[in-house]
Amino acid sequence: MNFLVEGFLQAFNLLLSGNTETYSAISATVRVSTYSIGCSLIIGIPLGFCLGYFDFSGKKSIRTIVDTMMALPTVFIGLLVYAFLTHRGPLGDFGLLFTLPGIAIGQTILALPIVIGLSATAVENMDPKLRITIMSMGANRRQLFLSSLWECRHGILAGAIAAYGRVMTEVGISMMVGGNIKWHTRTITTAIALETNKGQFGMGVALGLVLLTIAFCVNISVSFLRRRY
Amino acid sequence: MNRPIYEINSLKHSYGAHTVLAIEHLTVQPASIVGLIGPNGSGKSTLLKLLGLIEKPTEGTIHFNGRFVEPFSNEARFLITMLPQEPFLMKRSVFKNISYGLKLRGNGSDIAKKVNEALSLVGLDSNDFAQRPWYALSGGEAQRVALAARLVLKPKVLLLDEPTASVDAASAQLIKEASLRARQELGTTLIVASHDWQWLYEICDETLHLFKGKVFGTGRETIIFGPWQKLGEDKWGKTLSDRQQIIVPAPPDQEAAAVIKRTSVREDGSTLAGEGIVLRGTVSRLSLERKTGQLFATILVGDLPFTVRLTPQQVKEHTLFPGKTTHIHYGFKQIKWI
Repeated sequence: MNFLVEGFLQAFNLLLSGNTETYSAISATVRVSTYSIGCSLIIGIPLGFCLGYFDFSGKKSIRTIVDTMMALPTVFIGLLVYAFLTHRGPLGDFGLLFTLPGIAIGQTILALPIVIGLSATAVENMDPKLRITIMSMGANRRQLFLSSLWECRHGILAGAIAAYGRVMTEVGISMMVGGNIKWHTRTITTAIALETNKGQFGMGVALGLVLLTIAFCVNISVSFLRRRY
Repeated sequence: MNRPIYEINSLKHSYGAHTVLAIEHLTVQPASIVGLIGPNGSGKSTLLKLLGLIEKPTEGTIHFNGRFVEPFSNEARFLITMLPQEPFLMKRSVFKNISYGLKLRGNGSDIAKKVNEALSLVGLDSNDFAQRPWYALSGGEAQRVALAARLVLKPKVLLLDEPTASVDAASAQLIKEASLRARQELGTTLIVASHDWQWLYEICDETLHLFKGKVFGTGRETIIFGPWQKLGEDKWGKTLSDRQQIIVPAPPDQEAAAVIKRTSVREDGSTLAGEGIVLRGTVSRLSLERKTGQLFATILVGDLPFTVRLTPQQVKEHTLFPGKTTHIHYGFKQIKWI
């Protein structure tokens, strides 16, 4: 059990001493997860809203597919994205394999069903009287959409946090698409996997604690925003 | 007569295969108060939603100020507003709930003053309530805030769906007063659906009775629901709780509802052959229709209320008062089936 205590101490040491390798992994993790969560929110919230708000034929089937995709294994996404981005693949000319944008594409695929599914659930749970209230105030279609979205902001935010947590902690996509290249595409999770393979449990625990600290900071910020708005 | 503010033609609205509203023609005059009366499921709320441009009718047209309108019509969306039956506030402060409609209109000046005025109209102190969150209000307060959010818009038409159904007596009184002030001060047309018949008869220029999605009268008719039992050749009836029998001609089906358009009061319980039906009952209420000056007596026959239109002279002649036993009379010709 000593390695846990050692890990705590090392975590503080790594962060306080400004260890460049650690900060490189933190930077890569934050950057890539920000790209992917940004993309998945921009694409996923409108799609989730439409899926939850409108009734159309095939809605139940789409909902089932989205719910199933919430459980997509990260290595499977990594494999698919790798196949598309490798120089023999259809998107090979873009040179995205073993880059942070490449990882971000995979993580967006991972986060998108979560954002769509949980946004749709938040919209479905919206009180039907909300639509009557907004329309009776004289809203046009755009105002109705934006106000409805704002009213289910807490549910959508919960979806965004769940997606962010999944993106931050995944290993499969980062490893397969990013290649775990030091100073370049090494994220915290791939670094933990590497350090553990090397038998450096303390270092692994330290990086894990760093990851937890980032997640904690994100949740604190979101809680603050929730209270405020 | 002015151009009607609303004109409805061949209106039909269905949910799936079930038609909930069918009105051939209806007009509403500007600055009038129209009451909608009818049992639950009669189509009152649906009619209000269609007039409020919340839903689009399955068939037919609605014209507002002479122009065809539908949901999101720019010609009307800033002029019509509706207060639903159950209080509903958006997840924001009281102030933001009330100012929401003003902001939609780009009406950004003096918002605080307008919100304070609207709150005082519904009897709420702005210092105490303006910054409260939506969840820190009682049901009655929430309904009054919801009404303030409509009144602040100074609408041309205010549609009220059972505005006092789920609030206490004090809140109900404030809601009633605030609604009427909108009509007096702004010339707002009020269309009110309510089970509070007495209030509607007091304030309304016109009352419409809805039943099974159709407008069939002014709400002063007596409706008797089936089932009916066959008593003889072309003679059907229903036995009341006091064992008296209501006799009617053959209904179109056993479950049909009979509308007795006119009944009268008489002292004597006897009838001549072919004269009609006489039933014994007790006066339970006398109410005044302010606009016409006519009185209406509600007479309980068994458990069934009959409405009788009377002049003050007739009330005096029959010395009618609540609790008095009297007789009502109706003829077969006065019965319409729906």
